[in-house]
Amino acid sequence: MDDPGQRFAAYVGREAEPPRVARYAVNEAMIRNWAEAHDDFNPVYVDRAAAKATGRPDVVCPPAMISTWVMAGYRRHREIHRLRAEGVTEDFAYSQLLSELDAAGFTSVVATDVEQDYHAELRPGDHVTCHFTIESISPIKQTALGRGCFITLLKRYLDQGDALLVEERFRLLRFDPTRKEGAA
Amino acid sequence: MSMPRCTIGDALPPLEIPLDRTLIVGAAIASQDFEDVHHDPGKARDRGTPDIFMSINTTNGLLDRYITDWSGPASRITRTSLRLGVPNFPGDTMTFTGEVTGLDGDAVTVRVHGSNARGVHVTAQVTVAPVDSAVSPEGAAR
Repeated sequence: MDDPGQRFAAYVGREAEPPRVARYAVNEAMIRNWAEAHDDFNPVYVDRAAAKATGRPDVVCPPAMISTWVMAGYRRHREIHRLRAEGVTEDFAYSQLLSELDAAGFTSVVATDVEQDYHAELRPGDHVTCHFTIESISPIKQTALGRGCFITLLKRYLDQGDALLVEERFRLLRFDPTRKEGAA
Repeated sequence: MSMPRCTIGDALPPLEIPLDRTLIVGAAIASQDFEDVHHDPGKARDRGTPDIFMSINTTNGLLDRYITDWSGPASRITRTSLRLGVPNFPGDTMTFTGEVTGLDGDAVTVRVHGSNARGVHVTAQVTVAPVDSAVSPEGAAR
């Protein structure tokens, strides 16, 4: 019988998708929206004088906000889901892997772990590019949510001068929600 | 301005955060995360959970808030490692507790638990350092 786990393993080490370039530079409006949504009153995110009083040249971006800069945006999000529903696979490894996972019934996703090393703080005007690599894929296993496998993505975020800003490992579970063990 | 003096074993003041639907949705959208499990209860149920749940990025952002509320604006977080447990649903209250577990020069590592009534939502190790001493070799070029 065909073993999907073996097919998934072939994706390990591959570039997940082309480098993702932020749609806009780091900016005060997005930072303020984020800080307010998290009820974070650290003044260095929104108050230039307060940031300068700490030795920084300008306001900075909250560390956990790094991934926000390279999110695809609403329109692209809808397109990705439309293509997925239509069974269209795009020409990069992660799209192909997701198609194979869908075909195996692993249609649901939940993030489980994240590790981030912050090498520098981001300031308004910085322009982020993120390089994604499929670092590892676990064997198929039974989890509390259902049968599935864990995928670890390595993300390297660089600034406009190719300086490393953040290195991240992001682990998610792709699972089959119809094959849950026991009650939840 | 500086970070609080501390020794290993010191506890951070706990922080209780009531989590309503607006917080979970608002923070997901502030991070440009349009996954339906973070805003659409019907789709969340189709995907195997009883309600929408907090995104990992929101958990990470609330951890930033918890740590720098304690360490102050002159500090910066240099590393975070977090693992999720039970989800945060609308109506939950998450309580953060933290304990200093490592000291390395000026850098302080804190182990944090964020728990709701059903168990531990997140276990994290966060390292924070004074902003003027926290530049890594890779970041020094900037």
